[in-house]
Amino acid sequence: MTLEEIIESGKLEMYVCGALPPDEALEVENAIETYPEVKRETELIEESLLQLAETVSPPLQVMVWTNILNAIRNIKTIDKSKVRKLNLPAIIGWAAAIVFMGGIMWMLKQTNDLNNSLRVTTTENTVLKEEKNKVETQLAESSEVLDVLRSKDYQSYTLPGNQAVAPDAFAKVYLNKKESVAYIDTKGLPIPPRGKVYQVWSLKMEPLTPTSVGLISPENLKGDGIYKFVDFPDPEAFGITLEPAGGSKTPTLSQLYILGKVNI
Amino acid sequence: MEQPDDLIIAMQNGDEKAFSRLYSMYSQAIYGIIYSIVLDEKIAEELLQDVFIKVWNNAKTYSVNKGRFFTWLLNIARNTAIDATRSKAFKNSRKNLSTTNFVDILSSSDSLNKKTNAIGIKKFVNALKPACIKIIDLLYFKGYTQAEASKTLEIPLGTIKTRNRTCIKDLRVMILG
Repeated sequence: MTLEEIIESGKLEMYVCGALPPDEALEVENAIETYPEVKRETELIEESLLQLAETVSPPLQVMVWTNILNAIRNIKTIDKSKVRKLNLPAIIGWAAAIVFMGGIMWMLKQTNDLNNSLRVTTTENTVLKEEKNKVETQLAESSEVLDVLRSKDYQSYTLPGNQAVAPDAFAKVYLNKKESVAYIDTKGLPIPPRGKVYQVWSLKMEPLTPTSVGLISPENLKGDGIYKFVDFPDPEAFGITLEPAGGSKTPTLSQLYILGKVNI
Repeated sequence: MEQPDDLIIAMQNGDEKAFSRLYSMYSQAIYGIIYSIVLDEKIAEELLQDVFIKVWNNAKTYSVNKGRFFTWLLNIARNTAIDATRSKAFKNSRKNLSTTNFVDILSSSDSLNKKTNAIGIKKFVNALKPACIKIIDLLYFKGYTQAEASKTLEIPLGTIKTRNRTCIKDLRVMILG
């Protein structure tokens, strides 16, 4: 194609409009590179079309450019701030959150431990209080026994073991005849077999009349191995027999462990 | 006008100033193209923003050795505007788009842009033959291909190019003297 043919073909106008098929567009581009006249012609076509479009355009507001600029800058700024946020404040934030969580966990654990030890201490206190009460009770009992021993109203007797049944046994009796009160110390008696219990008898000699004073059993206990008995007939002697649990109405003489006079 | 290849290459390398210069050279014409398609100033302004943001983001896809920069802009602008007219909301709000051309806009508009020769151009453009108005409207403003224009105007395919050349030649005389 000659220079004239290209210009007259109408391809340059179509090329500027963007309506030319790719192969013909390539042809035009080669011609533009080869002939400065074709280039010039193309520029003039473009210029007239551009001015035509400008004529049709309403007034252009300055804000449009400002918005475009903001839009393309925002894209940049977001990219930068993303990186920066990842680098510092985010890391500090997470680190702080982790430390904070750790602190809370530690404090919860401390509180829990303190609660536990408080509970243990409270339990210990209760146990100690109970022990104290027990000791106080024992002390009161012991003082009572001690008062008895020191009192002039009480006579003390050592009752020997029955030679036939328990030659080594003995029992001590503290007796207040006036008020009919007796404390019996059983330390010298052997431990009774299972299902058996010692029973104390008040004895009149002429004729021999036994009256039950009571059982050597916890309800009469008044201290370490010392039992208290009240309200029994004025005795001439005391006997202690081994009886079935619950005691008997009359003494089983074959199981007479202790026998001793108290009227001296 | 010689194409400012230096500015285009600078913009492709992220130079905002070069982009700003290119914007002032081409934005008014591109705005005119978009407006001639959507016929609404607010919508056309928004689309013009979209077009130039696309230009900035896709600057590297243009090559100064292949095609005119103005033609590249034209294609982006026409595609963006035509896409917008296909949205449901747009279709519901207006009608008769296809029958309105650039001469109708020129005749009805009383707020032509500040260019000093606008009034003169208006007078000349009104003198364009109706057949020329049609063909320039389709090929230039609406982005029709040769074949599409041939079918719409019922002109043989071979005649389109020469008819278009004659019309633009008339236009050149009116505008550039």
